[in-house]
Amino acid sequence: MRSTITSVWSLTNRFLEWFGDLGFFGWQVLRSAVRRPFEGRELIRQLDEIGSRSFPLVALAGAAIGAVLALETRSSLVQFGAKSMLPAAIVFSIIHETGPVVTGLVVSGRVGAGIGAELGAMKVTEQIDAIEASGVNPYKFLAFTRIVACILMLPLLTLAADFCGVMVGWIANTLVEPISFHKFIHQGLAGTSFNDFLAPTFRTSVFGLIIGMIACFQGMRTQGGTAGVGLSATSSVVLSSLFVILADVILVKVILVFFS
Amino acid sequence: MSRAARLGAFIIATLAILAAGIFVIGSKQYLFTPTYRLKAEFATVVGLDAGAEVRVGGVHSGTVRGIELPNKPAGKITVLMDLQRSTHDIIKQDSVAAIETEGLLGNEYVSISFGSAQALNVKDDDTIASQPPLVIADLIKKADGILDTSQQALENVTVAAANLSSISGKINQGQGTIGALVNDKKIYTQMDQTTVGLRDTVNHAQAGVAAFQENMEAMKQNVLLRGYFKKRGYENSSDLAKNEIMELPQAPPLKTFTFESKQLFDNVDTAKPRNQKSLRAAGQFLADTEFGVAVVVVSTASAGDTQKDLVLTQARAMVVRDYLVANFSFDDAQLKTLGLGKGKNLSPDSSWGTVEIIIYPADTEAPTQSSAATPR
Repeated sequence: MRSTITSVWSLTNRFLEWFGDLGFFGWQVLRSAVRRPFEGRELIRQLDEIGSRSFPLVALAGAAIGAVLALETRSSLVQFGAKSMLPAAIVFSIIHETGPVVTGLVVSGRVGAGIGAELGAMKVTEQIDAIEASGVNPYKFLAFTRIVACILMLPLLTLAADFCGVMVGWIANTLVEPISFHKFIHQGLAGTSFNDFLAPTFRTSVFGLIIGMIACFQGMRTQGGTAGVGLSATSSVVLSSLFVILADVILVKVILVFFS
Repeated sequence: MSRAARLGAFIIATLAILAAGIFVIGSKQYLFTPTYRLKAEFATVVGLDAGAEVRVGGVHSGTVRGIELPNKPAGKITVLMDLQRSTHDIIKQDSVAAIETEGLLGNEYVSISFGSAQALNVKDDDTIASQPPLVIADLIKKADGILDTSQQALENVTVAAANLSSISGKINQGQGTIGALVNDKKIYTQMDQTTVGLRDTVNHAQAGVAAFQENMEAMKQNVLLRGYFKKRGYENSSDLAKNEIMELPQAPPLKTFTFESKQLFDNVDTAKPRNQKSLRAAGQFLADTEFGVAVVVVSTASAGDTQKDLVLTQARAMVVRDYLVANFSFDDAQLKTLGLGKGKNLSPDSSWGTVEIIIYPADTEAPTQSSAATPR
């Protein structure tokens, strides 16, 4: 009994400590960011790494989602005799929910693992200490650039995923029952406002912030040898995916309250 | 491809997607085309949302920009609509806005009807007339009412049918007047007996009439009454037209005997014969000659009552015919009479009228005998 309470207490304690460390880390990054010099070259490198290099993966994921939605939704809509709602169902669900969430999860898998492993390896091989010793702020040089790159690139990746999803959704739909792209888009966006399009797209910036923060944090607090590197890679993927989904729940509610 | 170029391409491509999305959605909301604003007031908008379509003649040509609740209970909900400039020539001040639904489950949209040609143009921010939307719940209520009414009607029909059935049952069982008529054989038998009785009565009546006729005949022979008939020259008025024909045959006559009525009859207004022997020549001719048809044609002078003269000429013709038939031997069916009624004064001697016996050749047929009853 006593041991159970002790273990629950220690778990809660570790959880709170983790959040405290995350907050401190975030403060460090923010404080370092406002000081010169700005790491422009590193930022571009990270934008490319996180943005354009993730594009094929995100586009493929979006396309797959579009095809699956078109085929799955069709059968259930046909049952209700609401086949004409198919474009609206596909387009609306992609731009509203599926595109942003799938992008967030795919990027958290690819980028979260990459950042966690890279920074973890630098930490255990004491490269971060070396950077610090050479007078460069590692929070600014390593963490801030990556976090900003995630925040900037995720909405763009979401747009790419939306586009591929809608296109493949149209193609899958046309293969079953021909419909012109113009009519598909026209029907799909019937009754769609900017709030339905822009708010879900740009809420992925929050996903980017979560992914970048957690991946950098987990990487930079790596302990032990190569086993620690693997652990922080895994934990950064798991935690960033988890927090992306949790944040999505909250953000959907927030968007519904403020943008509709 | 350098890293920067790859990044640039990625950013441009995704921003292009963003721009396209914004443009497509914006154009559906008529953000990038010139528009004008119209208002319409409704008691209920049945779930119409801002951003819903506005259709003019079924064509998507505008969007609902906003929906404003009234600020007092008696007010109406105002729907603000942005419409494409191009509809400005179609929508007039007498156009009517209505909220409609795509199918049963579809989105609500505002439909605006075309205006009439002579109506004034709408201006920006004008309020046009509206039509209350069709609320499915109300429709169901109405349908429910109709169902209730028709159910009552059906119940009434059922009651009426039950009544009819009861009536026909009663008829079948022989209750009531019609039932008795339909079912009771007694009535038929009675009617049958009545008919027999009626027939007997008629027979008796006929016998009575015959007896009466005989009595009449006897009375005519009676001394007291005989004078009247004798003076009139004939007894039975109903025989007057017995052998009469309507018109003379078309064929040319074989021979014509003409007599003055003055020589043959007792008085100017009677058919009582006198000096009938002067007819002998004619009678002899009829007896000796093969003839087809002979006609006794009688006319009076122009003076006197038309109807009375007609009867008189018929009577005189009959009297002459009776004499000839009684005294000479020929086929009496071939001798016809023709009473002409009033004639013309041919000469001073014929002021009583004339009697002609016109005899036609053997092959002449008498014209179709008119019925004696035919009024002349």
